[in-house]
Amino acid sequence: MGRVNATAIEASRLRKVYTTTRGLLRRERKEHVALQGVDLDIKRGELFGLLGPNGAGKTTMVKIFTTLLLPTSGVAKILDLDVVHDPWAIRKRIGFVFGGERGLYWRLSGLDNLRYFADLYQIPPDVSKRRIAELLKTLDLKGREHDKVEGYSRGMKQRLHLARGLLNEPEVLFLDEPTIGLDPVGARELRVLTRSLADAGTTIFLTTHYMLEADEICDRIAVIKKGEIVAEGTPSSIKTGVEDQGIVEFEVEGLAVERVEALRRLPAVATVIVDERDLAQVVTIHCSHPGELAASLGSVLAGHQVRKVTVREPTLEDAYVLLVSE
Amino acid sequence: MTYVRAAVRAFEMSMKLRSVNPFSNFSWLAFPLIFTVLGLLLLSPGGGGHSAYAILGGGLIGYWGMAYLEGGNEIQNERWSGTLEQIMACPTPLAVIVVGKLFSSLLFGMLSFIPAVALGYFGFHQSLHLDPIPFALSFLVLTFAFFSVAMALAPLYALSRRAFTVTNGFEIGVYVLGGFMFPISQLPSWLQAASSVLAPTWAVRSLYAAAGQPFGHEYLRWCAISIALSCGYLAAGWFLYRVVDVRARVTGQLALA
Repeated sequence: MGRVNATAIEASRLRKVYTTTRGLLRRERKEHVALQGVDLDIKRGELFGLLGPNGAGKTTMVKIFTTLLLPTSGVAKILDLDVVHDPWAIRKRIGFVFGGERGLYWRLSGLDNLRYFADLYQIPPDVSKRRIAELLKTLDLKGREHDKVEGYSRGMKQRLHLARGLLNEPEVLFLDEPTIGLDPVGARELRVLTRSLADAGTTIFLTTHYMLEADEICDRIAVIKKGEIVAEGTPSSIKTGVEDQGIVEFEVEGLAVERVEALRRLPAVATVIVDERDLAQVVTIHCSHPGELAASLGSVLAGHQVRKVTVREPTLEDAYVLLVSE
Repeated sequence: MTYVRAAVRAFEMSMKLRSVNPFSNFSWLAFPLIFTVLGLLLLSPGGGGHSAYAILGGGLIGYWGMAYLEGGNEIQNERWSGTLEQIMACPTPLAVIVVGKLFSSLLFGMLSFIPAVALGYFGFHQSLHLDPIPFALSFLVLTFAFFSVAMALAPLYALSRRAFTVTNGFEIGVYVLGGFMFPISQLPSWLQAASSVLAPTWAVRSLYAAAGQPFGHEYLRWCAISIALSCGYLAAGWFLYRVVDVRARVTGQLALA
């Protein structure tokens, strides 16, 4: 029971500032704050999702937890080990997978890649042989392990990444946008596998853009915006946080910027998002009294033909949009 | 033992990567041929056994290029392929991985002497007259010197994306300062002082003496100086690896962006 409640990943007032310099004679220093005082507490066996737009600080956080970056201030601990002082001990007990196709030796076989990292993770040869065979089978790479990685599909490359990340049977696994660029079937397979790893007791820290992914598999999620956690809880509690909000969606043509601004100025409107689709524009409005707003749209959109008006409850994606929008 | 296994695997991976990359043959094949031809055309007419400078010099340039530049190149390639972060986040120190990679570079680098010697023999009817034991000893010491320089400088490539541009110039500088193709006695005295702090200089001098050049027979003293300097480089390298481990984690320069 103690193990269940034990903390696997901990961040306390975690801050990271990148400093860059420009110029040769007159050096100009520029600072970019990637994380500004993040607090997190993730229990063992949890599948925790971190959501946020590009540049919000997700990858920086993963790199600090995986010992690739040092925090500027604050504390980050993995399995009670400090990322600053105990990186070598942490590295033996964690795994990580970064999204995308890079990070593999393309000109060598999948098996060469796995054997290499097995030795770098100091796994005894008899164990690594058995482990690699298991992973090839589990991740559906059996039969292709002797082929060069450059001939693998994107999904296969991502599964090979995952196999590499699982070689040392990590207690904590970091997945940084693992389904990016995968087709729906490949992404679904990876989600199922991720959930089954968490069910088997592995703590998983997942960053993603995809709300469906977070909603479907995560026990808890946090939303990060400009280096700050703006919401944290279960997917349903995050949705509950915006329950007083409703969504009005409609389709329109040739909507001018001034009209969009007029919509934004309407009372009870939180955000207005315009999605251009061919000739039409799909407008999504987050507001507190959707029924009343739908009825009053006519006055703002006079002269426009408004189609497909719908009023609905917010999804996790709507909650996310509300949380990260300016 | 785990580190030995990791280094051996890094060596094996590096050999495999070289074998599938045709450009890796350029350094050990083309450079020695070019410099040997130039050397033989310019030096041989003077007689006095100068052909040793052309033949061994061509091989040395290829060997040094492979050991020093390719060693760093491998780190840069890791960065480009996105694997530098993966290996830095492993529980095996970067230095262990670099040792494996450098052994592969040195092994390929040794091939540089084959085209140089073959060209001298078949193309210009010139051959080397070696004193086998001093030559073998000098060659081992030279290999240790190349290994030490490359080992100490490799972490710079991990630290900075721009290291390659800066250290590129160092490769050519060592051709001259190390006396690869002519005796350093022909350099201005202030440059000779700079030469004397380079471990390869002393090993190269010993190597040429073993190939019949009139330097005297102080092989053991020259080899000892080279080994001492190489050990100094390794000590500096040890410090540099520690710095890199921290600095790379501060700046986040392991990835491309």
